[in-house]
Amino acid sequence: MSASVAGRLGAAPGSAGFRVGIVILAVAVLVAVLGPSLVPHDPLAQALAARNAPPDAVHWLGRDHLGRDIAARLAAGTRISLLVALGATLLSVVLGAGLGLVAEATGRWASFAVFGAFDMVRALPSILLALTLMVALGVGTAPLVLALGIAFAPHMAMVARAAWRRETASGYVAAARVMGAAKLATLGRHILPNIAGALVTQAAIVVPRAITTESVLSFFGLGLAPETPSWGRMISGAARFAESAPHAVLAPVAALCVVTLGFALVGDRLRLALDPLRERGR
Amino acid sequence: MSSTFHASRRGLIGGAAAMAGLGLLDHLPGSGARAQGARSGTVKVAVLGLDTADPHRHTGSIAVQQVYVETLTSIADDGTVKPFLATSWEVSPDGRRYVFTIREGVRFHNGRVMTAEDVRANAVRVRDQVRGGWLSAPMKLVEKLEAPDARTFVMTMQEPYGPLLNLLSELWIVAPESEGWAQTIRTPIGTGPFRFGRWTPNVSFHAPAFEQYWQSGLPRAEAVEFSLRDDSDLSLPLRAGDLHIARIGYDQLAAVKADPNLEVQFMKDTTWWFWSFNNRAPRKPFDDLRVRRAVALMLDKTAFMRFVAGDAGVVTNQMAAPGQFFWDKAMHDAYAHARPNEARARALLAEAGVDPARTPCRIVSWQSTYPEIAVQAMRQLGFQVEHLALDDIGAQRRLGQYDWDLAPFASGPRADIFLRFIRLMSDGPNVGLWGGTRDAEFDALVKQAVAAVDLGERRRFYLAAWQRAIDNYYTVVIGHAPEPIANRRAVTGYSPGFTWGQHRVDGGLAHASLGVRS
Amino acid sequence: MADAGLALARQLLLLAAITVAVFALMRVVPGDVVDAMAMEGSLDEEAVAALRADLGLDAGVVTQLRIWVVRAVGGDLGLSLRFDRPVAELILAALPTTLALGAMALAVGLALGIALPTAAALWPRSPFPALVEGVNLWSIALPTFCVGLAGILVFSVWLGWLPVIGQMLLPVLILGIDNAGQIAKPLHEDLKEAATAAHIRTARAKGLSPARIVLRHLLPNAMTTVVALGGMMLAGLVGGALTMEVLFGLPGLGTLAYQAVSGRDYPVIQAVVMVFATGVVAVNLLADQVQRLLDPRLRR
Repeated sequence: MSASVAGRLGAAPGSAGFRVGIVILAVAVLVAVLGPSLVPHDPLAQALAARNAPPDAVHWLGRDHLGRDIAARLAAGTRISLLVALGATLLSVVLGAGLGLVAEATGRWASFAVFGAFDMVRALPSILLALTLMVALGVGTAPLVLALGIAFAPHMAMVARAAWRRETASGYVAAARVMGAAKLATLGRHILPNIAGALVTQAAIVVPRAITTESVLSFFGLGLAPETPSWGRMISGAARFAESAPHAVLAPVAALCVVTLGFALVGDRLRLALDPLRERGR
Repeated sequence: MSSTFHASRRGLIGGAAAMAGLGLLDHLPGSGARAQGARSGTVKVAVLGLDTADPHRHTGSIAVQQVYVETLTSIADDGTVKPFLATSWEVSPDGRRYVFTIREGVRFHNGRVMTAEDVRANAVRVRDQVRGGWLSAPMKLVEKLEAPDARTFVMTMQEPYGPLLNLLSELWIVAPESEGWAQTIRTPIGTGPFRFGRWTPNVSFHAPAFEQYWQSGLPRAEAVEFSLRDDSDLSLPLRAGDLHIARIGYDQLAAVKADPNLEVQFMKDTTWWFWSFNNRAPRKPFDDLRVRRAVALMLDKTAFMRFVAGDAGVVTNQMAAPGQFFWDKAMHDAYAHARPNEARARALLAEAGVDPARTPCRIVSWQSTYPEIAVQAMRQLGFQVEHLALDDIGAQRRLGQYDWDLAPFASGPRADIFLRFIRLMSDGPNVGLWGGTRDAEFDALVKQAVAAVDLGERRRFYLAAWQRAIDNYYTVVIGHAPEPIANRRAVTGYSPGFTWGQHRVDGGLAHASLGVRS
Repeated sequence: MADAGLALARQLLLLAAITVAVFALMRVVPGDVVDAMAMEGSLDEEAVAALRADLGLDAGVVTQLRIWVVRAVGGDLGLSLRFDRPVAELILAALPTTLALGAMALAVGLALGIALPTAAALWPRSPFPALVEGVNLWSIALPTFCVGLAGILVFSVWLGWLPVIGQMLLPVLILGIDNAGQIAKPLHEDLKEAATAAHIRTARAKGLSPARIVLRHLLPNAMTTVVALGGMMLAGLVGGALTMEVLFGLPGLGTLAYQAVSGRDYPVIQAVVMVFATGVVAVNLLADQVQRLLDPRLRR
């Protein structure tokens, strides 16, 4: 499978955008791995007298409203934000697609119950849901990942179910079934690999959205502990000083935009390469 | 803001464009000018919220309701208590009997003249029907409430109660014929310069001028309109001209000062910042005074106060601000940790046998910026910090669980210093912010202060109580600063007072008007 | 028809489940309204306990739920614990603002979200495809509160064109663009994909103008996607409206919900969520039906 994907990707026309996207994400991952060691400042160290100081030779991106080095926080935040976003996305895939598909394969009533639960989550405004969840669970990484994962799960479930229905309607699954394969086995052997494409594509959209949502939660005072250098916390903390210290809010916003672009570019190509439905359509 | 104006704000996109037009009108010179003596303009204000229409059942801020209901006494700008609906009073030598002379010619909003019997009815209602509230403690000590004639109200206490006159500045006089008097007042009929108008909870409160107000020439504005929205940054609507008067954060002070249309004033009493320890159920090793001293030594108070309040901040170690009557200079000068000393802090920890790297330190705070300074200080000292930044109610609940170690908080102006001391008493209300102190000796000293008839004696007891708080590190005071209130220069005659109340004997919204438009 | 009945029953069941879930969720949130009242320090422990009893908060969760349901079925949403006012009154006062904001934002979102990809499909070499990408990126990467704060700063404070409190132009535009970003890209993909389909190739071979092909043949087919996404969009819209209402001081349901959550005003939260959920459920049902009408393949 992976070899053929790589082949398709390589052969895909107009893959300049894809390459740019890959470079962006590679840099982001590198920064996330190396993290704080890239910048010779402690992302948590405060200099109260130098609040919102503009960029200079020592503090390349300036300081924030507690006099903390923005470059150091941005680097440290890459790891935290990506981890939270990836964790939330993974959770939403496992919860949404996993539960959804198993329920769909198990039978009508399981499907009814599970998708009923997802509909329930979907009918609640996600911000309100996350807000309530965070107030209930408290601040911190685990509650945040949980809240975001739950909020995004229904979306993944819908995508998975749509793909499942198209797949089960297709010839080879029917053939497998005629040959006596159990439903769950069919799911694992034939359908999952094909649905994976649709899910990866959705994940590329959900990851940056999770980072943005984290910042919205921070704006409401929820999410990670306030001193945590996540991009969302940085944005919501510095937004109050957008006028007097634009550098402090622009740095994390720019980082978020670039990474989103990276995910979008890679996601585009992944969809073309991995989504069997799209491919068959052309 | 008229109702049509309100409706148009809810209008469509076209309406929004029209709004821009209306906004521009605000800036035209002379558009609000009237003949002298007439009321002019609707003053738009945002300070704090309004929780209930029933003045006796208020649980939050007193800022708004003070414009439609008044009190026997009023806290003046210098913090002293002055006659308001009472013209004078006499206290018996034993400090138990208060005889108030009620002001003549004061009318309720329904036109009826207020009598001593009305005052008595309000005191009875608060004593018998209202649970909690700052007045609950003195009301439990009331022996008799009498109105021997239309102009005399007599309050007899079981024992002397020093803060009474100050606390009576929050016993609002409402006409007993107000709707809902028996349970919850829905439309209060007061004597204030503005009437209880239209209230939309959490959104706005509109109060039109009362034409028969007892202070001639007041109020100067046609109406006041409070914005009750939970805006984090009121400096923006203020600068845009949507508001005339608003509380602002210190971090927006520079931007506000740079605007030629705005003027910054400060409240007369201060907000104070402090780090409390968990006193009710202290967890190891934070029950050790050496550890508490180490924590106090990590705190750069000067930098902290400069950070939260700029030039307006002062460092001290007491609940009273420097210069106030209950503040003591000798105690201030003798303060052990005015300056930070990290080396000494580490030495103290070592002496107490504490390895901070293996010691969790749970910090509970609101979601403000300043607690992050405490978090960083503890982290720098090496503790394993867990920071719970919670919303108001979450913090309230969590503090009450006493499963934490350090609580950096702040507390605002109060009508009487007793309202600060009561928060460290064993059976005080909402004591979580101060770690739920339980110290019988502290309680006894405060009670003696309350019962002291002589002011000098009262001060001595209070200071003795506070010395205990310092010695036991119940809470470490960082400093004080008055809250800034900004107003557009178009507003004339307005000044903030000692507390958040927006109406008082010597100033407030009754005196404000939109004179010259900016 | 039986299908529609089943769908309706399912959605009603859903509402019932949401009632219970919200009820449970709110009881997990630490603190209650009495804590809020005690916050300014004016209630001692005795008073707190008495107040809880007064407000019925000392009863078991199941009892509280039963009481709420019985009353709600009878049309009584109860009193706000915090403001001692009928919840229905608070909701009715807030509803118009949210409906206006939501409807206008949806209109802007749909107009922009359909026009941009259509133009991009018509003129693939114009800047329109880039605009589709741009608006998509904008909606994912820029938090609405951030854009809102920037908008307030520029248009209200610096230029003085709009008031900060209570205006709807900025929130409508911001939410509209946010929504447009969510549908523009999938729609563009759909249009591009459909353009390669056999009957379109035939049409093109016959010499039909690209505009005619897009408007007559491609767009109507792609509307299924829009309707499906539109239904999904609504829940997101409600969430976005919450942020915008709070930021721009609009007295809508979002503000009401936010303040009710921070004030632990259970009856208000419960009612607001039910209103939201009912709206979303209704729109889902509607979108379902419209989709069936538009796409014959879905008629089973």
